[in-house]
Amino acid sequence: MQRIKFIDRMASGRLTRRQILQNAAAFGVAFTMLPRVTSAAEVLTCLEWTGYDADAYFQSYVGKHGTGPSFSTFGGEEEALAKVRAGFAADVMHPCNYSVGRFVEAGLTVPIDTTKLSNWKDVFPALQTAQGVVVDGNVVMAPADWGNASIAYRPDLIGDVFKDGETWGIFYDDAFEGKVSMLDDPLVIIIGQMVKGMNFKEANLITGEKLQAAKDFGAKAVKNSRFLWADATELQQGLASGEIVAAYAWNDTVKNLLAEGIDVKYAKPKEGYFTWFCGMTILNSGKADPALAYDFIDAWLSPETGKLLIEDSGYGHANMKSFEISDPEAVKAMGIIDPVEHMKSAILFEPQPSPVVNEQQRVWEEIKALKL
Amino acid sequence: MGYGLVALILLVLLAPLIALVVLSFWTQQGFAIDKTPTLANYWSLIQPSDKATVYFGIPFYLKNPVPAILLLKSLVMSLVVTITVLVVAYPMAYFLAFRVDRYKVLWLILITIPFWTSYLLRVFAWKIVLGFNGAINSGLISLGVIDKPLDFLLYNPVAVVITLIHAWVTFAILPIYVSLEKVDRNLLEAASDLGDGRWARFCRITLPLSLPGVISAALLVFIPTVGDYVTPTLVGGPGGTMIGNAIQTLFFKQDNAPLGAAVSIVMMLVIAILCGLFLWAVGYKRLRERSAA
Repeated sequence: MQRIKFIDRMASGRLTRRQILQNAAAFGVAFTMLPRVTSAAEVLTCLEWTGYDADAYFQSYVGKHGTGPSFSTFGGEEEALAKVRAGFAADVMHPCNYSVGRFVEAGLTVPIDTTKLSNWKDVFPALQTAQGVVVDGNVVMAPADWGNASIAYRPDLIGDVFKDGETWGIFYDDAFEGKVSMLDDPLVIIIGQMVKGMNFKEANLITGEKLQAAKDFGAKAVKNSRFLWADATELQQGLASGEIVAAYAWNDTVKNLLAEGIDVKYAKPKEGYFTWFCGMTILNSGKADPALAYDFIDAWLSPETGKLLIEDSGYGHANMKSFEISDPEAVKAMGIIDPVEHMKSAILFEPQPSPVVNEQQRVWEEIKALKL
Repeated sequence: MGYGLVALILLVLLAPLIALVVLSFWTQQGFAIDKTPTLANYWSLIQPSDKATVYFGIPFYLKNPVPAILLLKSLVMSLVVTITVLVVAYPMAYFLAFRVDRYKVLWLILITIPFWTSYLLRVFAWKIVLGFNGAINSGLISLGVIDKPLDFLLYNPVAVVITLIHAWVTFAILPIYVSLEKVDRNLLEAASDLGDGRWARFCRITLPLSLPGVISAALLVFIPTVGDYVTPTLVGGPGGTMIGNAIQTLFFKQDNAPLGAAVSIVMMLVIAILCGLFLWAVGYKRLRERSAA
């Protein structure tokens, strides 16, 4: 039926309800049949954290190939892992020291030939051989960025009690109900146990009875969180408007808010703050030419990308030269610029065995589902 | 043409459904899937426990209470959405059918305007309306009604319900409108001639004859909203999650696709049974025959 005629007949009431539904269904079927546009050469597909898909992070790749890769973004590594396992053909993925093992275990990674990376020689030697970078003698992740995870807060809104003793306990304190935001991650249960005095290594691997016992305390952070964030933009807006006064955050949130002229501080909680390093992994699910993947990773390891991370996000970078070409003020503001020293100064996130990941995820989902 | 369409529908609808059913009888073992057929996933959804998990004052004696609780919650939320949508949509459809004489096409197009933007954008728009610095809060503050933003507007089940109502109201207007439009005007005239007032005429003629439209509108709204995923994700906060979110996390975060498939199947069955009961209770067949006569 012609479109105009259809609308006209519908308007004048000469169509039955069934005819309308039939036409709607036919439209839906026809829509799925439209031919897909296929491209000649496979484009590099990258699974990336939200926010890292800007051309500036891989300028030399864009320079060489004209455009960047196609991106699919994720908020957490488990989500990305599930996507690849469900058949998503990604070539490159951006895991971290504590999560890359899951990809290796799932048999998805391809060892990286570091001789194909022109910037590899400038990577901090300690990072070249760090746990997570090398697994079973193979380099599975080219380290790229490193940084912290701590509490970002608004000193003008938070009150003196917190400022006098910065603590992760704020998320589990009913006095801050609806004023804080935690990451949407089982880490919340682990941090809860650290607030109660357990050390990180033990809390990180908590399972079974102990995990069940930790549930109620973890649930407090879910109850008190205005929202559980998966997207740093949402978090940034919340802190900027004053909707929340404190949140689990990475360096870039603090840096971005300061750049906007908002008074925000990065806490050093008494239980300690976290540190991590992430990098690029080549996946065997991809369809693009591996040379593209190497170009992309090499671009990420370039000092120019490092300069951008240091100056704009307050993150560290794996390339030693990045620190030489960056604004000295920005480097100074970072404090420690040696990643090894940096990681010693704080708690380095550690990998969890797969059964632990699964059990903690399950309990975490249960806590969230039971929130009223 | 007809057979081709049927074959296509079988292909695009039935094939994934069968895959889902098959998947639900398998089990996840770490990264691998054990393909021995078993009812373990379904059993885990109803496996009793002596310890009750209390949610909203209702005790659930289940070992894994999350799917059951979220399914119940989603059904209740969808029911609220459906009823409100019908209450809102009916007068609009009535106006369109009986009060608008000219430019009906224009009116219909105007009503479908919200459809011209993506569903996601409409949900985001509600986030802006209900947000901390959003339209409602800044409006009330500038009017001096409140001095601090209201924080109960967003990130809870109510926000999800409001957003869903707005998103689905157009779907309800069209079928109701078509039913109303088909009501024989002679019957209305006859009723007036025989002494019925406006209200009596509406109750005895218009409403019963338009019920098939109302019923299909109800189903059209209820069925998809139970499993909605995007809306609770964006405006629901931790307290506004629904069964769709639970299924998503089973597939994508908890690494248990077979259990996710089982929950999906159970959800489908429950909705199908409820809809069947509903149609039987309202005597749909009888209604349809009457309005066709």
